[in-house]
Amino acid sequence: MRIAFAGNPNSGKTTMYNALTGRSEKVGNWGGVTVGSKEYPIKEEYTGGKEVVAVDLPGAYSMSPFTPEEGITSEYVRTANPDAIVNIVDATNLSRSLFFTTQLLELGIPVVVALNKSDINEKEGTKIDVKKLSEKLKCPVFETTSTEGKGLKDVISNAIELVGGGQSAPYVQADINLQNKAEVDAEDRKRFSFVNDIVANVEKREMLSSETTKSDKLDGVLTNPIAGILVFAAVMWAVFWVSQAWLGPLVADWLVGWIETFQEWVAGKLENSPAILSALLADGIVGGVGAVVGFLPLVMVMYFLIALLEDCGYMARVSAVMDPIFKRVGLSGKSVIPVVIGTGCGIPAIMACRTIRDERERRATSMLATFIPCGAKIPVIALFAGAFFAGAGWVSTLSYFFGLLLIFLGALLIKYITGYKYRKSFFIMELPKWKMPSLKFAFKSMMERAKAYIIKAATIILICNTVVQIMQTFDWHFNVVEEGAENTSILASIASPFAILLIPLGFGVWQLAAAAITGFIAKENVVGTLAVVYGLTAFIDVDELEMTGGANNVAMATGLTSVTALAYLFFNLYTPPCFAAIGAMNSEMKSRAWLWGAIGLQLGTGYTVAFLIHQFGTLFTEGHFGNAFIPGLIAVAIMATAVILIGRKTRAHFDEKYRLHRDGKSGAAA
Amino acid sequence: MLLNAEPGKTYTVKEINTDDEEMNSFLFRLGCYVGEPITLISKKKKSCIVAIKDGRYNLDELLSSAIIV
Repeated sequence: MRIAFAGNPNSGKTTMYNALTGRSEKVGNWGGVTVGSKEYPIKEEYTGGKEVVAVDLPGAYSMSPFTPEEGITSEYVRTANPDAIVNIVDATNLSRSLFFTTQLLELGIPVVVALNKSDINEKEGTKIDVKKLSEKLKCPVFETTSTEGKGLKDVISNAIELVGGGQSAPYVQADINLQNKAEVDAEDRKRFSFVNDIVANVEKREMLSSETTKSDKLDGVLTNPIAGILVFAAVMWAVFWVSQAWLGPLVADWLVGWIETFQEWVAGKLENSPAILSALLADGIVGGVGAVVGFLPLVMVMYFLIALLEDCGYMARVSAVMDPIFKRVGLSGKSVIPVVIGTGCGIPAIMACRTIRDERERRATSMLATFIPCGAKIPVIALFAGAFFAGAGWVSTLSYFFGLLLIFLGALLIKYITGYKYRKSFFIMELPKWKMPSLKFAFKSMMERAKAYIIKAATIILICNTVVQIMQTFDWHFNVVEEGAENTSILASIASPFAILLIPLGFGVWQLAAAAITGFIAKENVVGTLAVVYGLTAFIDVDELEMTGGANNVAMATGLTSVTALAYLFFNLYTPPCFAAIGAMNSEMKSRAWLWGAIGLQLGTGYTVAFLIHQFGTLFTEGHFGNAFIPGLIAVAIMATAVILIGRKTRAHFDEKYRLHRDGKSGAAA
Repeated sequence: MLLNAEPGKTYTVKEINTDDEEMNSFLFRLGCYVGEPITLISKKKKSCIVAIKDGRYNLDELLSSAIIV
């Protein structure tokens, strides 16, 4: 039997779903966290041993969808015939929520109403007469607090009991012509006045929602165009600093010590085995994977802090304050949320774009969101910051803010290519009530991430490292490559042609090209592959954060200067993300042209950024341009020409389309 | 217009005109429609925060100028 969880955005559906099933799906204090349906069996302690599957759905305000993710919900409850519906109602906003409730009650499927967030009502002195509400709605109503698991048993056991029994509706939509706007409007008004009557009857408030409170004053500051943006910059800076320059490396140092000990132990055990085996196991597998795992604490701390931000309600305020800026480049305030989520992982970030209503804005955001370095890129950043910049915190901060800058520039470019079409882009964002972020939740989210990271390291990254190690050890005749003849290895011969393309960027050697290529499988691979091809491990200094043994080794082995190191780092950060994220982009964009456009844009951006840094950096530090300036310039010029040509073509096409739609009137496309 | 109103005061919605059917009906479902109260909580040059029913929303300039009170 299946029970669907439906309700307004940010009413706590996923929190309840997680509590009932033991899953850890993403939750956050803003509307639109869940963008797809998910299902999982409810724990037996709630179902009395019966097999019941809970279906979590995206939030919706009504049965008529406004944004794509809302459509998933109405589609599901209409067509998938769940056995019962648990309607999660935000008890602090009963007057709005019951509109959807009365629609759900009309479907004929048994409904149980969960008055969630009842703890907040208690605090604010709002009282709801549950018994009366239940009578009026003709369905069971229970007060719940999902965050503490209160009331959930009642909800589920009642829902199970009602299965098969049908549902009588307290309000039935009159038989109207749904094509006629006036009739639909009048009908919806009647429904709302029915709801208003119920609310007036069952709800008693001590504090009216129209009163200005302390939290409104705080919101006033946080949404102020100057103060709000400064606060946001400061908050993000603090997150990066704590996770990547202070607490993260502190824990990482300790962890790396253990990994080294383990590696030495493995090497010791293999002392009498063939050299190849020892190289493969100790250096390739333990060394390569260890190099990646060593950075785990940085990622964990980052996830913990982002989870706190997501849980307290700050995201909606950031979205509001950034809206005017994002609008100027052709995106919307809603594009901020994917960007912040993208600091963790690009895939959920790209999926989060579903809450953006305008198709062009949605596609553009999913194309650009991965310019913000994700958790998998943290090891890469940390490695380069540690090896070439004495562990300086500014490297990671610069990486993120430069990513943001690229998003703005990319958005302008997309606006140029697609042709500016005048369309009213409205912005409305619910500001949820502030909430003390739960440390337990943040800890859980962090551990979840750590688990995923370790699994990834033990599977994809392990395999890649092994393959890289083998390809490096043998030549095409499967003879072991001799010392001094490394260029004859399989890896070298495959990566060398790519390396030629990278010469104008300052890092045209096959080792670095190989690391960049494996990075498309998973970005952590850049670190793993570098460790393998240069025979390095222990990238983070064990004793203190200053450049010591390990760090110097990296700098020396790779032969990069600080300028070319920065160029290489940025190349890896801003070229296309991993294949999994590209797959997510494909399914969100639903357009081949946009997908290839995205990949092209990202490749072009990564290449151009690295080219400029290398050439001008060298000019400043050494007084002359770097290697192969002219060929690189030609490559960049070709890319720029391609952008201009594609832009011309699409806009010409766009003009035609626009004219057809508007009876030959020339559009505002210019 | 909502942006000319005084913060802290509750008004009655007189007209909603976004020129966008879907947007109008979206506002409707939040409880923002002609004849219903709306409270201006705070305002800036290009945006404002309002209370509609028991929720708080941030509106941009375009949307707030489409709501006549």
